[in-house]
Amino acid sequence: MARRDFHPEEHPFGPAVGRLVNRLADLPGVGRKSAERLANHLVSCSKREALELADAIRDVKERVHRCQRCFNLTDGELCPICRDSRRDAAVVCVVEQPRDVASLEATGVFQGVYHVLGGRLAPLEGITPGDLTIDSLVERVRNQGVRELVMATNPTLEGDGTALFITNLLEGSGVKITRLARGIATGSVLEFANREMLADALRGRQSF
Amino acid sequence: MSTEKSDALVIRLADFSESSRVVTLFTREQGKVAALAKGAKRLRGPFEAALDLLSFCRVVFIRKSSGGLDLLTEAQLTRRFAPPGRDLNALYGGYYVAELLDGLTEEHDPHPDLFDAALRTLDAIASGSDPRLPILQFELTVLKEVGRLPELDACCACHQPLELGAAARFWVSQGGLICPACSRPEYQHSEIQPGTVALLRALADDDSTLAQRLSITPRQYQELRRTLTSAISHTLERRPKMLALLKF
Ligand SMILES: [Zn+2]
Ligand SMILES: [Zn+2]
Repeated sequence: MARRDFHPEEHPFGPAVGRLVNRLADLPGVGRKSAERLANHLVSCSKREALELADAIRDVKERVHRCQRCFNLTDGELCPICRDSRRDAAVVCVVEQPRDVASLEATGVFQGVYHVLGGRLAPLEGITPGDLTIDSLVERVRNQGVRELVMATNPTLEGDGTALFITNLLEGSGVKITRLARGIATGSVLEFANREMLADALRGRQSF
Repeated sequence: MSTEKSDALVIRLADFSESSRVVTLFTREQGKVAALAKGAKRLRGPFEAALDLLSFCRVVFIRKSSGGLDLLTEAQLTRRFAPPGRDLNALYGGYYVAELLDGLTEEHDPHPDLFDAALRTLDAIASGSDPRLPILQFELTVLKEVGRLPELDACCACHQPLELGAAARFWVSQGGLICPACSRPEYQHSEIQPGTVALLRALADDDSTLAQRLSITPRQYQELRRTLTSAISHTLERRPKMLALLKF
């Protein structure tokens, strides 16, 4: 079922355009037709406009990395959320991916900070605790005065399993562990939940 | 191309694109099936978040004759696998069922009895009772269904019947019992008490209510575990991943 890659040489406008179309068509949600349209636009727009896009892509790849504290994406040492002194650093919301931070931030409800695990535990796929940022999370809880962990892993079997693993690991540490309310359908993923659903899930969080 | 309907267990999920997934199903009527589920990550649509690992659902898929991925068109959730309370071991037991189905069966090779046994095992694990016996029983069922159940009534070297209560050892590389006469010091084998052999036979024969009636000693559990680990690893040609995490 893999997308058929045209050989760049076969493109009627020549290999340079062919190569651009192929790379654009690799992007998520971009089909062959859209890739052709985007490539056409880039060929005919001003040089400045096209190179600004190229520079923005280069900048992101060269400057964006993981926040040293929460593993969110950032171009500074700490991400804007960790740097913001108005946020409650004692309440940490645990998510699988940086895009989940973006989804939860869009609700405007959460006043705490985050911890990005970098995935979920999936022993059948060979993804073990060492592949995630669980050690750093435990260290944060033990040494940085965390009062509450809000588990916001995806409501799937593996996402729940990951939250359970962390909860068991922190048993006896005194931290309060809560989870998002079950407004979001089990089996789905956070990034496809809408804003109101997520806001309700955050407000209605309950003990793990 | 033909449209198929079946009861199915989700045994593996892999992302295919930003919203689509490749789903490996163990179906009752068609055996293992790998199918593309377009839009599977979205909340609305023909799958309605039914496609979670170990979910039991009713599916409709289009079988591709060309040998490519089948296309999943509908999935309706019957029930989810919900491990009890805070029990990671129960979750791992469920994962192990998926690992065995995925690793030991072939695509489009139906095993309806194995399907039913898998559901029973998941239900038993989800009920919160000791998962060890249902898991051992499921391992024996899988081996039996794929034709790799170790010979439990005879020596696997000389094929002489082993009487109930007779001494025997488990020959690891052959995945079967061996009688004292055939045993050689250079063979890698493990101790197995006659009582454990009797248990293995009973577990392999019965598939329903036996579990509650048996009382098994820790030593017998150890021997059962060791025997089945070697029989499963022998058939799978590797040690199952979940056995490193499952507490037995
Ligand atoms: Zn941060
Ligand atoms: Zn013999």
